[in-house]
Amino acid sequence: MIHHFLENAAANTPGKTAVIYEAERATYAHINTMADNLAVSLQTNGIQKSDRVALIMENSIDYIISYYGILKAGAVAAPLNPGLKPDGLQYQVDDLEPAVIIATFKSERLLKAISLNEQTLKLLVIKNPKQKWEGMPFRVLDFGECISDQASTPEHAARNPDDLASIIYTSGSTGKPKGVMLSHKNIVSNTRSICKSLDLGPDDIQMVVLPFFYVMGKSLLNTHFAVGGTVVINNRFIYPADVVKQMAEENVTGFSGVPSTYAYLLHRSPLAKYRERLPSLRYCSQAGGHMAAQLKRDLRAALPEHTRIVIMYGATEAAARLSCLEPQRFEQKMGSIGRAIDDVELRVLDETGQFSRNGTQGELVACGPNIMMGYWKDSAATRRAIDKNGYYHTGDIGYQDDQGYFYITGRKDNILKVSGHKVNPKDIEEVLMQSQQLLETAVIGVPDDLSGHRLAALCVPIDKGLSEADLQKYCHQNLPKYQVPSEFAFFKALPKGDTGKVDTQKCVAAYEQLKTKN
Amino acid sequence: MSDVKSTLRQFIVENFLFGDDDGFEDDTSFLEQGIIDSTGMLELITFLEEEFSLQLDDEELIPENLDSLNNLEAFLAKKQAVQQPQ
Repeated sequence: MIHHFLENAAANTPGKTAVIYEAERATYAHINTMADNLAVSLQTNGIQKSDRVALIMENSIDYIISYYGILKAGAVAAPLNPGLKPDGLQYQVDDLEPAVIIATFKSERLLKAISLNEQTLKLLVIKNPKQKWEGMPFRVLDFGECISDQASTPEHAARNPDDLASIIYTSGSTGKPKGVMLSHKNIVSNTRSICKSLDLGPDDIQMVVLPFFYVMGKSLLNTHFAVGGTVVINNRFIYPADVVKQMAEENVTGFSGVPSTYAYLLHRSPLAKYRERLPSLRYCSQAGGHMAAQLKRDLRAALPEHTRIVIMYGATEAAARLSCLEPQRFEQKMGSIGRAIDDVELRVLDETGQFSRNGTQGELVACGPNIMMGYWKDSAATRRAIDKNGYYHTGDIGYQDDQGYFYITGRKDNILKVSGHKVNPKDIEEVLMQSQQLLETAVIGVPDDLSGHRLAALCVPIDKGLSEADLQKYCHQNLPKYQVPSEFAFFKALPKGDTGKVDTQKCVAAYEQLKTKN
Repeated sequence: MSDVKSTLRQFIVENFLFGDDDGFEDDTSFLEQGIIDSTGMLELITFLEEEFSLQLDDEELIPENLDSLNNLEAFLAKKQAVQQPQ
């Protein structure tokens, strides 16, 4: 069970610092006791096994107490993004039908702005409430009361590793967010595999800038609790100098990010200047989408020599990670996502439905104890995602080389037809980034009556003097004619989702808005 | 309100608050209130560099310098004093 990570660490090393958050340092014993108290409080208020508990908090010690407390109570932890707007939150709360919502005062206005289902909601727990909640048909408690000393310990209802533990909403590339159902077994199995891949131990100290409501952020928490390590929470990544400084001060051993995290760190942080001040930084891991080769090379140059770079690949539906490229192969297998991690079977399924090796392209599919139970209340989507043989279809197109390393070449739903040619926007983005003139770029297809699609490149230049003519010239020198974007649009930054990934749909909207304005 | 602060306020209200400055005070933290994300921070930095003809050092990108209108105003005054000694 997931909460055993915390309980084991609390039993073995009760006084060890588990979490550093701003001026606070919390030990494993403290977090375990607080999580027990919360579990008792939830159970006392009638929360039962399998009840959903929506957790709407930014990364904090209270978040961690809540996450493990919910699991100890036998309930289902459903972390929601505290940055959602009322419409987005309304959809997820309606879909989830939580019995409890745990939030901070920062989300009170948001909660007041939506309609809460009075039939299913039994309890609202708020940290330091500022609003008036009298007269509600559900109980409202202060978070502080719920984690204060309780007269008993949580009741351990009959549970097994296949029980639903968490529902994590994923936006995917199209449509409404879907709730990914993960069991205790899914998460525990994947946590152990990741620990092994990264060779994590009790001396590891992880800097966490990714949100815990995102599956990759959550895996940073679980992996470090599994080995009795330490997590340093820094929610101020918009000020990257602050993060790098804290990494040096706390002797952080690991840092993890998505491609935009590294793009930002490389271009607007003193990372390179801190090379000598990061003697403990053992590794940096990257997941959450393809990172351009140029960015990888720049990162290699900026980091201290002893710091290894670990490229990983995964999905919410896989409880976090599927593959890992061992750091010693970083240069040699620059474009690869590595090989499957322990207990994961990763394969390429070609167009004829056969497993392929030898470089034939196909869809990446995976199975193993980490693959989700399914999508919450959406059995049709589950059947589309997991085939009758139990393989999860990632939607990513790629191939496997003769040494077993996987490469992703695009998304199943993202191939554009340009004048009869199949075009993968990622190929063009990769070449554009090699120009070393851009901070980031996204290539999109603009519907065109004649050619099917025209290509537009949204570009964030490093140097303000860069012109469209410069980029056109560069593309004509480095790309086949049909891959040269017909338009280049300059932006100060590309629109991103809440986890920092470039959001293609928002890019299309931003491009259209720019065109309308002009 | 100083011209600098007024220019900064206008930029932030137009670009990040979609014209709605209700509750946006001079000491409101951009970070605490979720007004600016990392994408927005890059926009703000570009704006500061272009509008005030400054070059911001990466080590200066800290909350003490940038995380509210008041902090920004004080930081810009300090930068400009260094760049244009009397």
